[in-house]
Amino acid sequence: METEIAAKNFVIHASQDRVWRLVGKVILNSLPGMEEVEILDERNFRAFLRVRVSLLKLTMRLKGEIVDMVPPDSLVVNIALEGLRGLFRMNQKVTIDITSIDQGRTAVACQAMAESMGILSRGMFLRQARRFAQSVFETIEKRLQDLA
Amino acid sequence: MRTRIPEKWDMEFDVVVVGWGMAGTAAAVTAHDDGAEVLILEKMPDGGGNTRVSGGNIIIPKGKEFVDYLDALSFMTTDRGIIEVFVEYAMKNGDWIREMGGDVQVFIPLQVAYPETTPGAGFPHIRGAETVVKYNIKGTLQEGKPSERLWNFLSGLVAKRGIKVLTSTAAKELISSLNGEVIGVMAEREGRMIDIKARKAVILTCGGYQNDSQMKWDYLPVKPVFFFGTPGNTGDGIKMVQKIGGDLWHMTRLSCLIGFKAPEFEAAFPINFLSEGFIFVDKYGRRFVNEAGIEVHEYYSALTPFDVEKMEFPRIPFWAIFDEQTRRRGPLSRGTAGYNRDLYSWSLDNSSEIAKGWILHGKTVAELAAKISTAPKALEEQVDRYNGHCQIGRDADFGRAKEDLRALEPPFYAIQLWPALINTQGGPRRDKESRVLDPEGQPIPRLYAAGELGSIWGYLYQGACNIGEALVFGRIAGRNAAAERPWS
Repeated sequence: METEIAAKNFVIHASQDRVWRLVGKVILNSLPGMEEVEILDERNFRAFLRVRVSLLKLTMRLKGEIVDMVPPDSLVVNIALEGLRGLFRMNQKVTIDITSIDQGRTAVACQAMAESMGILSRGMFLRQARRFAQSVFETIEKRLQDLA
Repeated sequence: MRTRIPEKWDMEFDVVVVGWGMAGTAAAVTAHDDGAEVLILEKMPDGGGNTRVSGGNIIIPKGKEFVDYLDALSFMTTDRGIIEVFVEYAMKNGDWIREMGGDVQVFIPLQVAYPETTPGAGFPHIRGAETVVKYNIKGTLQEGKPSERLWNFLSGLVAKRGIKVLTSTAAKELISSLNGEVIGVMAEREGRMIDIKARKAVILTCGGYQNDSQMKWDYLPVKPVFFFGTPGNTGDGIKMVQKIGGDLWHMTRLSCLIGFKAPEFEAAFPINFLSEGFIFVDKYGRRFVNEAGIEVHEYYSALTPFDVEKMEFPRIPFWAIFDEQTRRRGPLSRGTAGYNRDLYSWSLDNSSEIAKGWILHGKTVAELAAKISTAPKALEEQVDRYNGHCQIGRDADFGRAKEDLRALEPPFYAIQLWPALINTQGGPRRDKESRVLDPEGQPIPRLYAAGELGSIWGYLYQGACNIGEALVFGRIAGRNAAAERPWS
């Protein structure tokens, strides 16, 4: 069952091509605590995500796969997160749609859907997952606004 | 010119292909499918050459305007007629792969590293650049990295046809008849010389000279220069052609990135940074380039200035200075391509390489400067200046883009970098029929060449064109060689 855990729509004052070029660079830098990134090929990467959940400092394994990319219109990434020795597992589909409004303005729509979460993960971590995804989208917006 | 016709041949084939990578496979398969009995000679224990450890991308242009683009890049070093033939065939590269039972997918990477391979044209401002599309062999990561998938596909074509391959067999000389026709190859196998008769033709596809120190020093514009690919490319084809009076072209040309060279490894490691927190400085601690702004295959061009007072290349070697966030972000050498890919696994947080002394570190810039023998004050001033550019979001010195700027924060790290070849481009001059020419422009009978050995890339290089070109002129050489009438 898919559950939307975060969404954000905003407008960037730059062309669609420019926003597309920036998105690739901004995404990795918008994930706080993402370290030891391994670029496996042009569509797959994995990394460690060091995050704080309440008072806990967690290290999670992250696997990312670009499942669809249509430059300069859209990007869909499947992200698998695993932590606490397998206790926490979540698959997210993150979609970023980039649409030209006019020559100088581009609409960006970000959405994160949780694709599968165990009952335990849902109970314990859904709120944190929502907060984390929302903060990532806000960081992406801020960075794009700064760079545009 | 030497002529030596053996009294007795050890082996006999219609077509002998020297070197087994992309070009050798395309030539051998095409000649075989046109009815020739083919032998492939490969001096290394396994085939693949640079193809096997490359990025695995193949150019398939989407329009004939690609001719204008390549014509501009060639800067009059390659006849436009040859480029036209290349483009005509390259547009069918995908069809050929599909006819052979494979398939391709468009290469579209996210831009996540510096320097990075772009998915499109390396020189997007040039007319025809919009026709550049790179592909690789369709498949998933589980089926291998792009170049592994490519080599699995190519070697499968040879195996399926039962084409004879002699590995660990090094071609040493071309054998010519009294009238100048190439009629065979002398090769070294298991410690003895063997003479192999080529009833129709010989096709040279044995790569460039990236692992021949003397040739590199003689010809290339940066010195010294290391390499990423196979150690097997030692200029053998060039030397064989010189011995029989062939002409050479494009000898000063190269496809050259930056890399780290560890003494215990024959090849260099390609180096990329996964975060913006890095700069490059020369031997004297001076920044010298927009680190994120050079076309990746032409990176050497930032390193060529020669100081005639000091009689040195002040940027060879140079240093990358980076910070903790960049160090932790990911491995400096990603292992997607290069000969060392299967020999060494770079640690994800670069800690093993710090422990080995490949990466140096210092709590302050001054401490780091002392370790890399650079004037501390000069390096401190440079880092402060760069950090100032980051604060205002504008690199006043080299125009590094706003999105590529991030101030360096302690602790600091340094790694020594060198120009490092993907491959050399020079070799025997050839025409659009893949025939090797003599200094008067006349074809040397029954001798063909394709691939990096005398590639058509005579000035600037567009990424994915070496494999694309090997596929095109390998096919042409194979077809023409098979069509020759046997000399005996």
